[in-house]
Amino acid sequence: MDSSTASILTEVFFETLGYWYIIIPTIFLGLIVGGIPGFSAANTIIILMPLTLALDLQSGLVFMISLYCAARMGAGIPAILVNIPGTAGAAATPLDGYPMAKQGKGQQALAISFVASCIGGLLTTIIALAAMPILARVGFYMHSVEMIVVMLFGISLIASIAAQDMVKGLIAGFLGLMIGSIGTDVVYATPRGTFGFLELYDGVPLIPALVGLFAVSEAFVIIEKRVIVNHDGEPKAPNWGDTFEGVKIALSRWVHIVWTSIIGLVIGVIPGAGASIASFVAYQQSRSFSKTPEKYGTGHPEGLIAPESANNGVTSGTLVPLLVLGIPGGATAAIMLVVMQFHGVSFGPSLFENQPTVGYGMFMAMAVSYVFMFLTILPLSRYMSHVTTIPTIYLAPMIISFTLVGGFVPREYMFDMYLALAFGVLGYIARRTGYHVAAILIGVILGPLLEKYFLWSLKKSDGDIMVLFSSTLGNILWVAFALSIILPMVFSMRRKRKLEVPAE
Amino acid sequence: MSSEHHKPPRQIGGELVIPILSVGFTIYFFMTIWNSPWTAQVSTFMIGGILLLVCAIFFIRCAIWLSRGEGTLGFGNLFTMDDFRTGRIGLLLTTVGYVALIDTLGFTLTTFLFLAVSMLILARGKNAVFITMISAAMALTGWAVFIWAFDARFPRGWFETTMKAVLANG
Repeated sequence: MDSSTASILTEVFFETLGYWYIIIPTIFLGLIVGGIPGFSAANTIIILMPLTLALDLQSGLVFMISLYCAARMGAGIPAILVNIPGTAGAAATPLDGYPMAKQGKGQQALAISFVASCIGGLLTTIIALAAMPILARVGFYMHSVEMIVVMLFGISLIASIAAQDMVKGLIAGFLGLMIGSIGTDVVYATPRGTFGFLELYDGVPLIPALVGLFAVSEAFVIIEKRVIVNHDGEPKAPNWGDTFEGVKIALSRWVHIVWTSIIGLVIGVIPGAGASIASFVAYQQSRSFSKTPEKYGTGHPEGLIAPESANNGVTSGTLVPLLVLGIPGGATAAIMLVVMQFHGVSFGPSLFENQPTVGYGMFMAMAVSYVFMFLTILPLSRYMSHVTTIPTIYLAPMIISFTLVGGFVPREYMFDMYLALAFGVLGYIARRTGYHVAAILIGVILGPLLEKYFLWSLKKSDGDIMVLFSSTLGNILWVAFALSIILPMVFSMRRKRKLEVPAE
Repeated sequence: MSSEHHKPPRQIGGELVIPILSVGFTIYFFMTIWNSPWTAQVSTFMIGGILLLVCAIFFIRCAIWLSRGEGTLGFGNLFTMDDFRTGRIGLLLTTVGYVALIDTLGFTLTTFLFLAVSMLILARGKNAVFITMISAAMALTGWAVFIWAFDARFPRGWFETTMKAVLANG
């Protein structure tokens, strides 16, 4: 980095700090829209488009970026406290976040999540800034064959979730994959398994599936208890101790935050891949290489850190192809593209030569937002965690009403509310009879993507299945995938052997 | 060992619901793609085939449990009379009502009615005044934030239309 770039970055950093009056209110707005299923940074920016276009370019960018980052972090809050991921990107967060909340460690879990999100987001922003030219090329190398392996990294989480009862776990996962296959196929648009509903031709919409499987079914389950926190979980009075404990736990696992956020950054750079894939892959990899994989799913801090730092790593990753190549990495980035084009900004490598304050300014806005988020949101964790002590007779109906209507928002079909209700019934049956709803959801989210890349590969190779092993990068990824499955087994066997030795 | 003998038999009937639904859905799915191009079939036949296989393994496992007397075809893990006592059935019915009525009555009014009725069912009629107030406050907050402030695409009815006219005319 030469001295002129450094001086531009310093100048832009201080200039962005001056927008605190936009960033702080936007952070709170982002937390709200991120926390409610059906709302997201993308559709909030669309709703507020007239405002965004009326602002000057720099203010508009700061607003959009802050909203994007805050919504990503906000999605994890209900995921931890009430087992309802605000977006698909937070679908892996409740796997360990919610058990912590049930144990009365909601405040600690929120603090861990905030620290992991902020450090993950901040770190990946810096890496993205430094390694932009290299990262921008990642998208060129990732074709359908390579993406199949990336999807398999995420889908293999089903097997981990299924560890307690493999047969039931696999039934849940493959049922999810079948549900994810509903809709037209990507090559000839042949409708499949739609029950005659036109609304399902585009596939199963994610938000109603998320709302039903997690929120509605959870609401029907929690009414058995007076409050969410378990009887032995002892809800505590607000105290700073738990927040500091959470911060300490997260900081002591900084290496974990670093490598899982880098997974998010790399996946975020790939156009079309997103936070949901990143969080599932990060969770699975974190579990695979953990010394205590058996603790995952029971309220293990590392199981919470992995998806949260990964999905915040995605935010900076999606900016790279947008700024360097003019290819948006996700829905929010696509809307940012529209707003920036309205203001006459042209994308591509020339952006950093012609308008460096805009190019670098977006990354600086992201960095500053994460710093402000850390300072403003972390202290609130002690109050937010009290959601878990609200009597369920009030909480359950509120969850149902606000999340069901959230299922309606993305497409405005009444059908989607009925669909969310149907998924709610499925989720309730699954929870009561020992099937994991997260395994079903992984299938619903990743199944269609896997099929899409698989079909594209086969189509390009005239049906030759060996195309899956035709690229160097793909083969490296296959080896990495095989190692990620085999090595944890080897480690586990070694650990068991070590434990057996003293017993002998 | 003795605790093993006193363990209540496994309620296999409830556990079979999802595999049976899965088999039914997979067969239906296969029927819809039987005459389709191979692109529509290849991955779903693979996924569905594995699902059918895993379900078959589960059915065999259940049959073994049943033959050994380790389980029954009961649905106790899925549905009990407690579901009436806790208000779960009532909540389910009000939820169905909420989805059915929201298109006609609009978000605010339906949410108020749903919250009030379902909370009263779960609270067994206690704290009616508090519940009515909190339901009204939640529904009005939802309207103010999502419909009035953000103009979100929520279902609209009489209340929203009236408020829009009132606000437009000062």
